[in-house]
Amino acid sequence: MRDRILTVIRSLIFVVFALVLCAVVFQFAGYNAWLMLTSVADGAFLHPGAVQQSLRWALPLFITAAGVSISFRAGFFNIGAQGQFYLGAICAAFAAEWLKGGPAALVVPACFIAGMAGGALWALWPGLLRLRSGTDEVITTLMGNFLAGLLLIYVTSGPLKDPSGSGQQASSRPLDAAYRISNSLGLSPTIIVIAIIVGIVMWLLVNRTAFGVLASLAGRNGTMVQWQGAKLWQLGLASFLISGALAGLAGTVELMGPNGRIASGFLPTHGFTAILIALVANLSIVGTGVVSLFFGGLASAALYLPIMAGLPAAAIDIVNAAIALFITARAGFLDKLFNIGRRPS
Amino acid sequence: MNDVIIAILRSGTPLVYVTLAGMIAQRAGVWNLGLEGIMIIGSCATILGIMLTNSFWLAMLIAIVLCVLASVLLWFVIDRLKANPIIAGLGLTGLGIGGTALAVESIFGSQATVSAPFGVPRLGPAFGDYGVLSIFVLAMPFVVFGLWLLLRRTRFGLQLAACGEHPFAARSVGANPSRMRLVALSIGGVLCAIGGAELAAGSLQFFAQGMTSGRGFMAFAAVIFGAAHPVGSTFAALFFAVVGAIGIRAQLSFGDKVPHDLLQALPYLATVFGVWLSGKLRGGAKAAAGFAELRDQ
Repeated sequence: MRDRILTVIRSLIFVVFALVLCAVVFQFAGYNAWLMLTSVADGAFLHPGAVQQSLRWALPLFITAAGVSISFRAGFFNIGAQGQFYLGAICAAFAAEWLKGGPAALVVPACFIAGMAGGALWALWPGLLRLRSGTDEVITTLMGNFLAGLLLIYVTSGPLKDPSGSGQQASSRPLDAAYRISNSLGLSPTIIVIAIIVGIVMWLLVNRTAFGVLASLAGRNGTMVQWQGAKLWQLGLASFLISGALAGLAGTVELMGPNGRIASGFLPTHGFTAILIALVANLSIVGTGVVSLFFGGLASAALYLPIMAGLPAAAIDIVNAAIALFITARAGFLDKLFNIGRRPS
Repeated sequence: MNDVIIAILRSGTPLVYVTLAGMIAQRAGVWNLGLEGIMIIGSCATILGIMLTNSFWLAMLIAIVLCVLASVLLWFVIDRLKANPIIAGLGLTGLGIGGTALAVESIFGSQATVSAPFGVPRLGPAFGDYGVLSIFVLAMPFVVFGLWLLLRRTRFGLQLAACGEHPFAARSVGANPSRMRLVALSIGGVLCAIGGAELAAGSLQFFAQGMTSGRGFMAFAAVIFGAAHPVGSTFAALFFAVVGAIGIRAQLSFGDKVPHDLLQALPYLATVFGVWLSGKLRGGAKAAAGFAELRDQ
């Protein structure tokens, strides 16, 4: 327990370090760094309504991040969460389009199933290529992100095009209000319940089932698990599919909740942020929930920054990238610094 | 025919330089996914440098210095802090894309593209139709040959490969894997600066936010496709450029029948195919192994 808390503290120290580093860089770039830090805190948690906004961003991120942590636990660098997220949103949008006019009690679940299937499908081919032919999943899932982005542009400017669109950004026809699971502020009991269900199911899966334990072991030492008779192939494919399905679910939530439509290139950093959340939380599900709140706060502050501090919203992307640069640092002297690993846990 | 070759050389040259950068890092045992970020820093620094100093070579010097600094940062994080190269590389890419966007915004105030009055020096009329190409295109075969000599025919190159393949063995004969990685990533920084400069100032003479659009990752895939061999990787990068040129051609002739967003997907599909093929032929390289090998101390 003590070791786990220390690990979390170490992650947080990296996050703070990255924030301070970015503040210094922004100061040199001619912005007011202190104003930036205070307005991040303001936009994330202090401003009236900011907590709701942070939750709105945190819940979909949590769903995706929980999936990412499963595939990372199993030892697969599935960095294609962004593409799987897009495919989920696209498939759900198609389902909603085809079932238009049906009762909401039927259409909404169908959209969710379609979204999860779409996300899982986009994780299936890199998974199969990796497990069947040894094709490196880092590159295939990365290319999958670009392909999904192009597919999204095609879908929003072709089959699902909204003819009344402004032309600035192609987007799909808006969903019927009856099928929306939240208003455009993006926080509703339905979404909260979905996130809680995902959290509980994933926690049970990781900590209380043979699959979860074996997958985590396979990530550390695949050969050993194979010798003990587990099928590495099945474990790997299942973890790819689960992570894809969850990213697809997050895409569906974004479509049917806050956005109500899909637009070309919407939420372009969702997948990367989700990967970061999983890593900062050290791949634990409970930790992922807590860390999502923090990154949800940053995402909410990103919209607030241009007004308050005159900083472009890209500033938050830079902060996230700086965190990514340092978060996986595992140097020996860091362990000594934080006194981790002195005794067996 | 000439215009097709010119188009391929134009789009292929930046990719080749960045691929060579990734190839050297790969030989030293570092999976460099920061190529995209270092490349865009090179593009941005070249264009801004030309506007500030009004001299191409000074701008190139600035770009090289910045790119080498970015590479050294990546080396520090991966080698000294023992961070995961894949995540750290993606982080550096994010820093490059976000940082260049922020730099342009803080200097020019708007998010528009930034154009420079002139770009990389051209070959000139002596080369006929090919005179519109930049000098880096002509330099490319010599750079490839030079790197091949360096990596395959010198003591340094062999030690570098040894450090990548088996750091412990390399250390036991007196090579320093950590320093080798630093040298490899720094050379890669110079090559990325040239690739980025060629992309932004070779034929276009402007910088736009996120203008690398995945070329760094494609270059990384070319390294895997080409088995981290200087000549093989170069041909892999040129293959991706050819596929991209075919896509543009197809847009011109079938643009009304096939949606052009799907034709734009061709280079990415070719990349997946290339990596799959190299995995089939050589049993595949594992990213996870890439960082386990760094933990030799």
